[in-house]
Amino acid sequence: MNPLDPRIHEALDGEREASALPEELARAVRPLERAVALLAAHVPGPSLEGRVLAAIRAPAPRRGGRFVQWLVTPHSITFHVRPVWSVAFAAVVAVLTLFPTGHHGPDIGEREGIAQFVGRFPGARSVSVVGSFNDWRDGSIALEDIDHDGVWRATVVLPTGAYEYMFVVDGERFVPDHLADRLVADDFGRENSVVIVRPARR
Amino acid sequence: MGVRGAPSDAEVVARVLGGDREAFGLVVRRYEAGLLRFATRMLGSRDAAADAVAESLVRAYRHLASCREPARLRTWLYRIVANRCKSHLARRPVGDVSLDEAAPVADPTDNSAALERTEQLALVERALATLSPEKREAFVLKHVEGLSYEEMAAVTGERIPTLKMRVHRARESLLKLLEDHQ
Repeated sequence: MNPLDPRIHEALDGEREASALPEELARAVRPLERAVALLAAHVPGPSLEGRVLAAIRAPAPRRGGRFVQWLVTPHSITFHVRPVWSVAFAAVVAVLTLFPTGHHGPDIGEREGIAQFVGRFPGARSVSVVGSFNDWRDGSIALEDIDHDGVWRATVVLPTGAYEYMFVVDGERFVPDHLADRLVADDFGRENSVVIVRPARR
Repeated sequence: MGVRGAPSDAEVVARVLGGDREAFGLVVRRYEAGLLRFATRMLGSRDAAADAVAESLVRAYRHLASCREPARLRTWLYRIVANRCKSHLARRPVGDVSLDEAAPVADPTDNSAALERTEQLALVERALATLSPEKREAFVLKHVEGLSYEEMAAVTGERIPTLKMRVHRARESLLKLLEDHQ
């Protein structure tokens, strides 16, 4: 970008008589004059008077109301962080991720493990699991279908060992879990599923 | 002072502060065209400019008592609108000045000269939008709104040498951009 001749700036700033500019300088500034003439044209549109007067006739929002309005209005927040702090923050996150200081979830003893029960029962009203871990008592371990996709799940902590179990659908239908670790015949001519619970802490 | 028969700005401000709320309509009618043009050139959008000016005028009404020099109401109003435009631009991604997508609708009486004028205006608006908000503000206040450097200093809170430098740089940038499109 070449700087303009200072005489042009002086003329445009009213510090020099514009008519006294040499012709080549006057010619150089004409595109700018045409641009200004276009930009200075009236911007068409309806008057704002009605809108403004309607707003000022309405009661001014109370200070508390303005605060509430501020709270519920989206605001963009920009943080300007020195690179060294960004690196330090990333390092802290990495350490916490790679070397967790605690654990989340239920407390699990040394001789306990986690068993997950999952079954697909579209249209079922309720699903529970019964087995040797709860003396085949229905209702003590209920499965959930949170997203209503027909897949029911439950996660429980059990003492380590092998357990036979079945699903109970709608409180009356006993269904084995064919995805279990293995299936065994029970005393009534049916098949029970078997889950093996291993210690969660090694 | 105002035109003969029309109250001056100071008189209008006194009437409004005295409880004549409707007198503020005079302020709106007197300055909305210039304020709207200024905001449109700053924001690149007539709709965004109308919102900014309307909100600024309501704000001006609510804080009219803090206008220390009612005789210089015009520069006070420009200052409020300029700040509103800057806030609006700060919320946008860098470099995003949304020129209205649609070109002005052609009037049935439009002729080729009018259409050419519309195209030239779009070209100039695009060139203006490439300037930084500070240079754009200085250029528009100086050349489009016709403010003096003293008035511009009152509007922007900047020193006169700073404003002159911005206007000079803006002129040079615009001339270069317009030459490239010749």
